Amino acid sequence: MRWIKLFVIVTAMLLVATTGWAQQSKLKIGFIYVGPIGDFGWTNAHDVGRKQLEKAFPGQLETFYVESVPEGNVEPFIDKMVRGGAKVVFTTSFGFMDGTIAAAKRYPDVIFAHASGFKRASNSATYMADFYQIYYLNGLMAGALSKTNRIAYVGAFPIPEVKRHLDAFALGARAVNPKLTIHVRWLFSWFDPAKAKEATEALLAEGADTYAFTEDSPTVIQVAAKKNRLSFSHYSPMQRFAPKHVISGQLVHWERIYIDFVGKVLKGTYTTQNLQNVDYWWLLAEKAVELGGQPGQAINPLFTGRLKAAKVKTSEFGTISVYDLVNRRLAQMSKNPVAFDPFTGPIRDRKGVLRVPAGKTMTVQELTTMEWAAPGIVGQWPGEPK
Amino acid sequence: MEILTWILGTLVRGLAFGTPLLWGSLGEIYAERAGVVNLGVEGMMILGAFSGFAVAQVTGNPVIGLLAAAVVGALAALLHALVSVTLRANQYVSGLALSMFGLGLSGLLGRRWEGIPLDHPLPEVTVLAPLGISLAVALWIVLYHTRWGIVLRTTGESPAAADAMGINVTLVRYLAVVFGGLLAGIAGGFLSVAYRPSWTEGMTAGIGWIVVALAIFAGWDPLKAIWTSLLFGVLFHLSFRLQTWIPPEPLQIMPFAFTIVVLTVGARRGGRVRQAAPEALGLPYVRGER
Repeated sequence: MRWIKLFVIVTAMLLVATTGWAQQSKLKIGFIYVGPIGDFGWTNAHDVGRKQLEKAFPGQLETFYVESVPEGNVEPFIDKMVRGGAKVVFTTSFGFMDGTIAAAKRYPDVIFAHASGFKRASNSATYMADFYQIYYLNGLMAGALSKTNRIAYVGAFPIPEVKRHLDAFALGARAVNPKLTIHVRWLFSWFDPAKAKEATEALLAEGADTYAFTEDSPTVIQVAAKKNRLSFSHYSPMQRFAPKHVISGQLVHWERIYIDFVGKVLKGTYTTQNLQNVDYWWLLAEKAVELGGQPGQAINPLFTGRLKAAKVKTSEFGTISVYDLVNRRLAQMSKNPVAFDPFTGPIRDRKGVLRVPAGKTMTVQELTTMEWAAPGIVGQWPGEPK
Repeated sequence: MEILTWILGTLVRGLAFGTPLLWGSLGEIYAERAGVVNLGVEGMMILGAFSGFAVAQVTGNPVIGLLAAAVVGALAALLHALVSVTLRANQYVSGLALSMFGLGLSGLLGRRWEGIPLDHPLPEVTVLAPLGISLAVALWIVLYHTRWGIVLRTTGESPAAADAMGINVTLVRYLAVVFGGLLAGIAGGFLSVAYRPSWTEGMTAGIGWIVVALAIFAGWDPLKAIWTSLLFGVLFHLSFRLQTWIPPEPLQIMPFAFTIVVLTVGARRGGRVRQAAPEALGLPYVRGER
């Protein structure tokens, strides 16, 4: 009897010890989200990335997250994660930037990575999956499909990121139809369906017939579709909410970055000493972003015919259909290095100031700080340079 | 002609966004007239929006959806009545908790319905807007020209006097709060069944708080609630419509700034707003205590 008892105790202890050991050997990775994971945009996309990351390295890592973390108060959440054993922490909102850098100083043996920011440290990298190339392609299609020569953009905040996307959209649209104007409304909110609805109504009243936007709900798509107007899906696959009216859109694959980054951490390539210059600026070529309103479908087939019928004169390919132009530009931008960039000079802003000289392409630094408005954009532009 | 269409279009948009504000603030006015502040409007509205959408989608009938929204709003308000009237907890805390509870619960239940467009929506301005205006008139008549109105107002002004008159203070407060929740539920249902028409987590995005402010702005008067809601709706729409000419930053704060200005001016003119506030607003009633 005594022997059995002893045996049970020893086995139990061994079990606890080994599972404890196994858990310790797993890399713990924490994610800090700004919104709820159920939203229709940014946070949801990061959470999809987190799940894909877990699948990519089965048994080697453990992930956990906190959602709806206020931007100004990220540090206590990081503290909690590090106390919980996190060795890698991803902070996924611009407003977490300073908190992340401060935490990186406090925890020199933890690896940090901050999305969409520009501050780094020896143990803190930055990463971003950007849409500007895709907005350009969306613009090409809008230029071919607009009948009123007025297209619209409902923007969240007048910050460089949104302005860059708006400019790319406008440049694409005007490359197909130089008579076209792009009408803008600002929401001053990342998520507010009521504001998005009234902004869309205001643009409908102005006669705009093709819509792109930055807001984390399908409101713009649905309000436009009700009036039989076309639109581009934003961030998550929204085509299913208006399958007859969504032409294409922008999709993100954060997992591409997460898997690459964590793979290099596991291999020992990235340590707490060498991240000072690690900045992921991943685009089409890295497959971090995808053209389309649903995965695997770059253009809604309902619009293929009209896009093939629309012809456009280009200096590079002669006269071709817009459908072909979209595909060629997509192929050019999917190469590494890219064979085409929308922000290649000469580009003047809407006031006539030369912003990109001939033969020059904007650098990442310039892209992340740009404030000017492209020609054809109509509407208020807070922070527009003189 | 151009300008006429412009004005007419703006008024229609104002009416559309003003409708949930009107229904919500009418409910809040009645609850506060009985002496109970309910800061849970945001929560009751979002619960109404979710249940209204889900039921309208399943049954294919938006009217049944709205009825469901009303019932759910009323049930949520019953919770507030239980905590703040029977248990005499702090009304403000209870209301805030209800708002958070509603947002959380609807978000949890709503995942499956997220973003789907409603198959059979209700028209935006032709049904609930005229109904809301008629309701406001009816509620004004009840409040100022019937015995029920006297009972309600007395309960809010002086529950002790009401009690002495033989009025069941607890019952009146329960009824007023539940009625307020019913209207808030319909206001939320309108958002998901007529205004959007679709369900998105957190879609009320602060409208419930505007409703609470509008109840005060209207001086707890159902008739005034008509034009305050319409005014706010018009200003809200104009904050996007006018972006053609005016920078967006001042426009964003315009509806709120304008409301504050009118409120201040109103208060200066003989303190009308002050006088209109029910005397016992926010105070739990305990017989024999002051």
